[in-house]
Amino acid sequence: MTLGHAVLEIREAQVPLLAAMLLGGCAAKLTRILRVGSLDAGLGPTALFPLRLRRPVAVATCAVEFACGVALVVTAGGLGRGGAATAVRLATSLLFLVATCALIELRTSHPETGCGCFGEFSRTPVSGRTLARSAFFAAAALATIGLPPLRAPHPGADAARLLGIFAIELAVIAVLSPELGEALTRLGYSEPCELRRLPAVRTLAALRRSSQWRKRAWLITAEVPVDMWRELCWRYVVFPARVGDRATEIIFAVYLRPHRPVIHSALVDSASGEVLPWPVAPAKRRRVFAQLPWAGPEPAGARGLGADAGSGSVSPFASPSVSGAAHRPDRRPGAGGGLIPAGMLSAPSGDYRIPKVKAEPSAPSPLDDLPFSSDL
Amino acid sequence: MLDVHGDFRCCDRCTGNATAVRASRRRMLKAAVFTAHDGPPGPEADRAADFPAPGKLPRAITGTVRDVSPHVLVIGNGASETRVALTSDATAWRGAPLEPSGVQPGDQAVVRLHPSQRSVADRIWANIGRVTGVIIERDADSLLVDEGKTKPRQLVTIPGGASGRIQVRFPNLEPGYLIDVIGVRRSDELEARIPATSQPAYPVDQMPTPAMVTGRVPAAISGSVTWHEPVDEPPGLLGVSYPALDPGSGCAEDPVGSVAPQFVRMPYLAVGSVLQVSNDCTGSTCMLSVTGCAAIARLFNDRCVTCGTSPRGRVADLTQASFIALGGELDRGCFNATITIGR
Repeated sequence: MTLGHAVLEIREAQVPLLAAMLLGGCAAKLTRILRVGSLDAGLGPTALFPLRLRRPVAVATCAVEFACGVALVVTAGGLGRGGAATAVRLATSLLFLVATCALIELRTSHPETGCGCFGEFSRTPVSGRTLARSAFFAAAALATIGLPPLRAPHPGADAARLLGIFAIELAVIAVLSPELGEALTRLGYSEPCELRRLPAVRTLAALRRSSQWRKRAWLITAEVPVDMWRELCWRYVVFPARVGDRATEIIFAVYLRPHRPVIHSALVDSASGEVLPWPVAPAKRRRVFAQLPWAGPEPAGARGLGADAGSGSVSPFASPSVSGAAHRPDRRPGAGGGLIPAGMLSAPSGDYRIPKVKAEPSAPSPLDDLPFSSDL
Repeated sequence: MLDVHGDFRCCDRCTGNATAVRASRRRMLKAAVFTAHDGPPGPEADRAADFPAPGKLPRAITGTVRDVSPHVLVIGNGASETRVALTSDATAWRGAPLEPSGVQPGDQAVVRLHPSQRSVADRIWANIGRVTGVIIERDADSLLVDEGKTKPRQLVTIPGGASGRIQVRFPNLEPGYLIDVIGVRRSDELEARIPATSQPAYPVDQMPTPAMVTGRVPAAISGSVTWHEPVDEPPGLLGVSYPALDPGSGCAEDPVGSVAPQFVRMPYLAVGSVLQVSNDCTGSTCMLSVTGCAAIARLFNDRCVTCGTSPRGRVADLTQASFIALGGELDRGCFNATITIGR
């Protein structure tokens, strides 16, 4: 096989490749139009045009691509003998040359805009690769001018060579195509936890099912958290608690994943922010009733913790004795204050809503406030 | 005349002393839960030591000009007054460059002090304002702009002299499109003078789908950092509004209707989270607390070209004091920056 013959085969391979790219680009654009429902959303060189011209420019681009793609196929064989094939290939070359120039302009004036060559897949800002690909297609189209009508390759060596040319050229196009990465990303996409939307109510439900909750719930004095926020993969939930006569807070850090999240917890003094050791749980943990922090005068039931609980001298770590009235499972916190059984905290009702933050923390933070410019 | 009395409400994301207390409280609690536990380490939390150190970054003062002479500027803020020396090196801006002594009593001024000379003005911006939002109405010579539910609607007038310059960067001054202009603040309107950025090609209801992110989100994210006018922020607050606050916190700051689109996908944070913000143009770096939600910034897919082209759109919206402390020029609108989360 001579060099001239090899070059001729490479030139011939460009016709079906260019047709495939043009029809593929047109199909991707049409898909996007159908999905978005409008031609006005500027993507690609249409963003260079005033608003009123974008729709006709987008329609024209799509139509020209489709026409060139079909015409390349139709004129590839015997039908394309002579002027018709040359005209189509010249038009295709012109299309890619204009596209290359438009992309250069787009990169300069709208550096954030994708080329839109393959619709939704082409959202990456125009880069050197995109420009090189467009120029490559223009060169390929120019190389097809003057070709004789294409013939089907002979089975065997001819067909294998043609397949090899296709493979190499497709590899080059893939290297020059940022869209390939986007397509692969869509195939095996798993959203990072930092970006995953996970409702707070699911976090609360997972927390209340956890062993951390079961171990700490006897200290908690309110059904709803006083603060809750999210940072990256963690959601933090703060509940008021009481250790003896000391006002404390329990903070839970819940890792944001749908099942069996990792949960950390800490006990913090409300006033000083000091991290406290966990008190030893009662030997036989029973339902402990605690006084709501926003309740009125302490009801009699709360004194069921012990005969001298009101004096503050009793250790909360001692096994509490619970009054029968407060022990009723149907007892709910009321407007006038009251008690809630800790066990109820583990079963949020079906109509549970994310609670609003009840109040600011009871004491100002010992840490500095946000800095101000005057501090600089 | 366009009606500027839109429905706007404030929520617990709005900045103020309550938010400041909550932010520092959250930092403390987060530090407690991860230092108290032996399990896998979470994000390191207590970063108080890394906040801007006195004397290292430019300091800004904000207030009303009470008196000005060729050598001294008196800035009042409530009952307090600050006297600032004007040297020959100082520059000023009020819609256009002017002599520092050209600032007039009554002007609202933002003064950047010289970093090494505490009472010497380095640069003065008089009556500077910025409107960043979605155009919701257009009149013959004015625009009504929605800056999100936590801010009042803004009336923007575009004088003939600035119209050409603005329309080069913002060709679609039609309802539904984004606008970001810097100008001179009048009583209840902004007289636009310069475009702060380039207009995204899409209307907000047809935003392109954000690109998907795979693997672990990088801790350092480079992009464009802008500034915003204080609405209910204390003057001089060092803080940052972040475009991806946790949607589960129950406070929507949607720009229009109930749509909450977002172009850039960024890790979710909360008020009180701490970011390290680095100005890629000057090298200045400091830690800033998230003090609010940048509801509009997340709609922009623009690029900052202050020093090269930023690799992505807006990653943070700073308070004026923070922007100045990190070496930004208010009349430029943005700087290229890298934010680091979880350090």
